[in-house]
Amino acid sequence: MNALQQEIAQLIIDTLNLEDVTVADIPPDQPLFGEGLGLDSVDALELALALQKRYDIRIASDSKDARQHFTTVATLAAFVQAQQEACKN
Amino acid sequence: MNVHVARERHWSTQKERGSLFLMRLTALSVRLFGRRLLAPVLYLIVLYFFVSARSARRNIRQYQTYLADWSDKPELKPTLGKVFGQFIAFADNLLDRLDVWRGRLRFEQVQLVDPSGIRPRLLRSQHGGRGEILVVTHLGNPDVCRAMAELGEQVPLNVLVHNRHVAQFNRLLGEAGDRSMRLIQVSELDTAMMMDLSQRVERGEWLAIAGDRVPLHDGRRVTVNFLGYVAAFPQGPWLLAGLLRCPVNLLCCLKVDGRYRIHLDPFLDVAQWERSRRDAVIQQWVQRYADHLAGQCLMAPQQWFNFYAYWQPREKEANDAT
Repeated sequence: MNALQQEIAQLIIDTLNLEDVTVADIPPDQPLFGEGLGLDSVDALELALALQKRYDIRIASDSKDARQHFTTVATLAAFVQAQQEACKN
Repeated sequence: MNVHVARERHWSTQKERGSLFLMRLTALSVRLFGRRLLAPVLYLIVLYFFVSARSARRNIRQYQTYLADWSDKPELKPTLGKVFGQFIAFADNLLDRLDVWRGRLRFEQVQLVDPSGIRPRLLRSQHGGRGEILVVTHLGNPDVCRAMAELGEQVPLNVLVHNRHVAQFNRLLGEAGDRSMRLIQVSELDTAMMMDLSQRVERGEWLAIAGDRVPLHDGRRVTVNFLGYVAAFPQGPWLLAGLLRCPVNLLCCLKVDGRYRIHLDPFLDVAQWERSRRDAVIQQWVQRYADHLAGQCLMAPQQWFNFYAYWQPREKEANDAT
């Protein structure tokens, strides 16, 4: 798990106030929604707002696209990284 | 009655039939004839609506019955005249809305009941601070809130609407001379929309959203007891408030003795939930909102302008629950 992935896992825990869950409990490739961590669509919105605040990212209004980014910690990290690089250029 | 109610079409599929058609006609006629000449014409149109829209008649009768029973005021029981009276109140409401849009209804003509100073907060928030949420209702005349805000460009108020007729409404608003109201269509709370709304709130903009109509394609609804029977209310406004962690205020504008009175009531200082109790918390909020709404129905019994089937078809359950 790289640093950004760890950071995002911690952000998920803090934002959603997940008690009894540690960063180690959220492997980068574990699905966040449904079966995996068991988050729901409202959690997703809450998470999106937290990510927006922390990393100043934008998500286009194409919701299918957004859903893909939110699949796992790994996809979220990749998305955040891509956004940050896009901002730099 | 129950069978009919169950088959009732959802309000948002009904192309805002009465509303939009009447408004267009009214907008045109007010320009041509002026309000005083127009009133009798409009009453005729409403009479037509009254005669032709059987389900609307039935729904209003149901509302009046529930209100009378719930409040234990037999004098509110429906009669043909009282049901018609509610249609006429709707016609007056349309005329008033046009006055508001055309800037004819000034803030000075409106009485403000705002014991906790919500309007000053709204006016102040353009100079910094976070925005808040106003939950509005289809009881009375939500448009008059514009008179309250004295909407020039300087007052940061966004009105969120569910239906697809925004484009038509915007055009109509344009025809009526109003270009300052910001309508945002929200059919579903998705990530992009949430981010946009969150930024608006951070900039100090306020969001107005109806708390008494369930959107068609959004399954997020919660059923509570309203006037003694089970009715569905949207979760949307409350989810929005909880996600944005902002204060929620209730806005209701009623015409009492021929004069508009705006009631502004604080509802939640900060909307917040524990994740595991989210649904229960929202349910509590909505029940409290429905109780508040019921109290306001009593202040202006004929100004309930939800003409579609409001209550759930299985009617008796709520009674057992209370």
